[in-house]
Amino acid sequence: MKKTGFLFDERYLQHKTGRYHPEVPERLTAIYRGIDEAGLLSMLTLIPASLPEMKWIEMVHDRNYISRLEAACRANEPIFDNPDNQMCADTYQTALLAVGGILETVCMVMEGTLDNAFCAVRPPGHHAEANRAMGFCYFNNVAVAARYLQKQWAITRVGIVDFDVHHGNGTQHIFEDDASVYYYSIHQHPSFAYPGTGREFEYGKGLGHGFTRNSPMLPGQGDDEYHRLIERDLLPAFAEFKPQVLLVSTGFDAHREDDMSDMKLSTEGFSWIMQQIMKIAAGHCKGRIISVLEGGYSLRRLPELARNHVKILLEG
Amino acid sequence: MFVSRSMTRGVISIEPHRTVFEAQETMTENNIRHLPVVDPERHLVGIVTDRDIRSAIPRHYLKDGIGADDKAKLANLKISDIMTSKVISISPTYTIQDALLMIQNAKVGALPVVDEENRLTGILSVRDLLRAFINVLGIGEPGTLLGIVVEEKVGQLKAIVDAITEENVSFGSVLVARFWDEDKRAVFPYLLTQNVAHIKKKLEKLGFTLLNPMDWYLDQLKQDEKPSAADD
Repeated sequence: MKKTGFLFDERYLQHKTGRYHPEVPERLTAIYRGIDEAGLLSMLTLIPASLPEMKWIEMVHDRNYISRLEAACRANEPIFDNPDNQMCADTYQTALLAVGGILETVCMVMEGTLDNAFCAVRPPGHHAEANRAMGFCYFNNVAVAARYLQKQWAITRVGIVDFDVHHGNGTQHIFEDDASVYYYSIHQHPSFAYPGTGREFEYGKGLGHGFTRNSPMLPGQGDDEYHRLIERDLLPAFAEFKPQVLLVSTGFDAHREDDMSDMKLSTEGFSWIMQQIMKIAAGHCKGRIISVLEGGYSLRRLPELARNHVKILLEG
Repeated sequence: MFVSRSMTRGVISIEPHRTVFEAQETMTENNIRHLPVVDPERHLVGIVTDRDIRSAIPRHYLKDGIGADDKAKLANLKISDIMTSKVISISPTYTIQDALLMIQNAKVGALPVVDEENRLTGILSVRDLLRAFINVLGIGEPGTLLGIVVEEKVGQLKAIVDAITEENVSFGSVLVARFWDEDKRAVFPYLLTQNVAHIKKKLEKLGFTLLNPMDWYLDQLKQDEKPSAADD
């Protein structure tokens, strides 16, 4: 049995979005419930939220952007940058707590207190660009974690796997010219889904060319196509790159019952993907995985998806 | 949508007395495939393409190598010997639509743009048109494309636009395309949002049919479909 951390805090429920917005606090309660009802909580190390040192966020986001977000929150603005980013007076603080909790979790994994962890945070992060909020995201949680691994832990090869059904444009752009961070994403084809990036020919830029890989999937595809593309693209790429730590952008929105996408991934399909990620981590990363929640909106399916996710982390 | 907004200015050109080798060098250095030919007052007198140059160099030179005599002959070959003198050119006040149709009809890769005195002011290539259309489609901005089938009658598009606007969502673009049922149209709004699940449900509630994304055909009738297939 692995030592698995579980980052969860009721304060992550305080970020509220408006009417008809799918990124709701109930997502997290569904995730918590799924893990709790399966009796897994006692096997996990519960990590509470905490505030990060701002210098880590500033390694990814412009100071001007950060203060704009803080000011918008203080002014109780209903949206930030675009109508997708609906917010409330607690959004800025919640986004900080998400980053802080994740950095604390990364620290515990690097110290060896934990083998791996699942961070059930809100708001999500992978669409957030250095100076722009997008697609329900404010701070790019995974990107800040990657910078923290580079600077604080002298990691020279960070692997990021993003299986949210939407392409993580923010994460890709932040690291596209950085050969020490390999970003891999599998998602619904950008001609058919938000945000319209993550095409097969995007391989990174400059020194980072060859350290970005995208597997776009046509609408309607399911487990078989996920198997095929992960085996064709992700596994060989990471076998060569040999990441020292894996960060995972975990999105559950490719599920066939999730109405945010046209993909048909089954609950078992998600488990298969996570098992492949565990194998990569066992092979190259001393098992070190920090999985961070992105999307996933089916309140009905989130409990089982989160339960299986955590079970796989625990069982190794 | 005028050509003047989309054309490449500061266009690289060449004079008729220059050699073919010089033209080839200029093209390679600047990564271009069309060189307008101008006189000293920059009047357009012709155009050479990379293809003209390839045709000017006989094939057997590539295969068997090139002798000293041939080399001298080629070195003396002038632009005026190989250029197309009857150039299809356009004025900056032509529209992008004009240019698209002209490029398609004339089967050329670029159109030199000239002023009233036939002086070269720019060039509009297929590449420039592509860039213009990427802008028109709005796909440089993050968003989600929907496909909706509507009956061809007045007010349908308005109903769609209203339903979406009520949700405070902006449009990157809206395309209306032919559909394989004659009395229907396919409408493709590109919405600058990730949050489309609610909008899709709303449109369905209003009686619109959402197209399965795998059945999207932006540019043509569903091809190769036998008439009987509609009965399947």
